[in-house]
Amino acid sequence: MGLIAGIMFQDITTLLLAPNAFKDTIDLFVERYKNKNISVVAGIEARGFIFGPPIALAIGAKFVPLRKPRKLPGEVMSEEYILEYGSDCLEMHIGAVEQGERALVVDDLIATGGTLCAAMKLLERAGAEVVECACLIELPDLKGRERLNGKPLYVLVESH
Amino acid sequence: MNALTGNSLKISRVNIVSKKFQRHSPSGNSVTLKSPNTSTNFQPIRATVTGGADSGETHSTVLSTESARDQLRPDMAASPDVTDGRIAGISAAIRVIPDFPKPGILFQDITTLLLDPKAFKDTIDLFVERYKDKDISVVAGIEARGFIFGPPIALAIGAKFVPIRKPNKLPGEVISEEYSLEYGTDKMEMHVGAVQAGERALVIDDLIATGGTLCAAISLLERVGVQVVECACVIELADLKGRDRLGDRPLFVLVSSI
Repeated sequence: MGLIAGIMFQDITTLLLAPNAFKDTIDLFVERYKNKNISVVAGIEARGFIFGPPIALAIGAKFVPLRKPRKLPGEVMSEEYILEYGSDCLEMHIGAVEQGERALVVDDLIATGGTLCAAMKLLERAGAEVVECACLIELPDLKGRERLNGKPLYVLVESH
Repeated sequence: MNALTGNSLKISRVNIVSKKFQRHSPSGNSVTLKSPNTSTNFQPIRATVTGGADSGETHSTVLSTESARDQLRPDMAASPDVTDGRIAGISAAIRVIPDFPKPGILFQDITTLLLDPKAFKDTIDLFVERYKDKDISVVAGIEARGFIFGPPIALAIGAKFVPIRKPNKLPGEVISEEYSLEYGTDKMEMHVGAVQAGERALVIDDLIATGGTLCAAISLLERVGVQVVECACVIELADLKGRDRLGDRPLFVLVSSI
């Protein structure tokens, strides 16, 4: 964990240096989702790219990267979301997800829930059903869970 | 790694995907994913292994140390049937986007590969089969698309995953390596203490173009005493000669694009 000007940064890179712990992390998600007919795992750039693909591979789902603007080539759909100061955008490829698909959204951490909310909206606009959001870490004091419009959130670790 | 559950995707599924991603270039011709038989962009060839700046053709590489674990089996590149079948599917699942990020560039988009669970699994399996008994303790993945391919490989071979990132993304103490762009420079960073001297590492990215970022990643690892056993990419843009820029460090790619 790092201390940067008042923010306690939850650093998952040390988890990635411990192969057993990293494997356990993935296994916990896979056990939860493998028989749930999930065909899409959407991962939020960039740390969602680390956890999403292993889950997708294990449950036989597609992996869909959700990216900052202008990273994805070709036709995209955009969803804006509010930051503390200003706003940002998340993008998804048009055609990546089909109507009626069941999706997970994966990121390393949920803080305010802004990016997760934008991710869910992208998937829903494409006609997918977001079954659950899955993160390693939740910062409950930031109340991100409430921003998910009632969608379930599953986390492994809470940090106050 | 767990195998695919349930549905097995047939090759015809890949064709459906390719039709969906048909895109019309400014000249009016539609651009589709290349199938193995009609490819002009891709050579859906078997996996290639080469080493050395002066090698103009493929040959198998034996690394400089003599222990058995270091030898990359000469027959790895020549496992015809199974390897060819998987490579063809992988190649067909990659789509080419013209004029991205700027006019004249044909962008090799691996996101369509990720939408094909069988092809994505085959991609990972090909790397895992190659590296699983080579005493590799570190898989370093280059932000951001190296983060997609590196971790599944690391998990399957029991290695650490080390993210190599753009500046100011990694918290805590980092070491930096600058590298040249067409105009200007950029930097890659790695955490201090992520790797130890003497460890054996792979460097993973989705694609090698000029080799600049791969070189920077190699430098970061070698500066702290790590041995870079091989660089591994899904795609090589052979004309950009990134392979030469890696010098004597081996490069393994699944698909080579002219």
